[in-house]
Amino acid sequence: METNGVHGDGHGIRLTQEQARSALADTEQVRASAAALSATPWPTWFFVTLTLYTAALPIMCGGMLAESDWLLPGPAWMGVMLAATAVYGVLSAVASKGWRERTGVALRYDVLPKRATVPLAIGLPVVLVGSALAFRSTGKPAWLIAASLAGVAASVGFHLTFVRLHRKTT
Amino acid sequence: MSAGADAGAGVDDGLAGFDTTIHAPIRLRVCALLDAAGEAEFGLVQKQLGLSASVLSKHVTVLMDAGYVEQRKAVRDTRQRVWLRLTARGRDAYRGHLAALRAIVGPSDPPAAP
Repeated sequence: METNGVHGDGHGIRLTQEQARSALADTEQVRASAAALSATPWPTWFFVTLTLYTAALPIMCGGMLAESDWLLPGPAWMGVMLAATAVYGVLSAVASKGWRERTGVALRYDVLPKRATVPLAIGLPVVLVGSALAFRSTGKPAWLIAASLAGVAASVGFHLTFVRLHRKTT
Repeated sequence: MSAGADAGAGVDDGLAGFDTTIHAPIRLRVCALLDAAGEAEFGLVQKQLGLSASVLSKHVTVLMDAGYVEQRKAVRDTRQRVWLRLTARGRDAYRGHLAALRAIVGPSDPPAAP
């Protein structure tokens, strides 16, 4: 029977510092290999999908919120937005299922530190929607293009971070 | 759970979480993997820890009997797969056990020699 250094005498446990240190090192090694799996990046096709959706979001919001018709009628922008979001939702579910089956671990959203994810989770929606509102009040599409580029940069940045984390820990 | 160590009486409080069910090497590794991964497929755990299915199954059964691990069955490619995860109780027990190990090692532990 394995003991991992535990010698029971019926009253207590005798474990040396070295044995405890060895057990902790063992868990750290396992944790690191599991963390590498959790940091597996999305497949390229979904990374491209996610990036395109993020890039299109401010444009679609801008079209929807524009005071007068911009490129397309307002209701058409609404239809484009709903269709794109529905397609993105389906592809996201397919990618998540494939990712879990490929890695064999649960999909976690806390792999990256909160100091990186929380500002982005708050800031990106503000930038995406804020740019549409700025476009509505100024009529300048540069706001939408800037927000679109910011979204692309965030998507690419996160993907590259996951690629680096995955390589570093495997 | 009875606990004590030859590391000194000053660490007794930290040793309260020592768990002999978890401390067995394979079960400790299983718990470490599940704590880090959230949920993991049986085959993946087997591969990551280099265990046979029967050995892993035996240890998972011990952890399940203790209420530390639960399993979920899912079908993939017409084959049934088992996914394992720590229960809330198991996560608490695992983290308490790690705290006990750290208490034994001691706060002023020098870095390990290369």
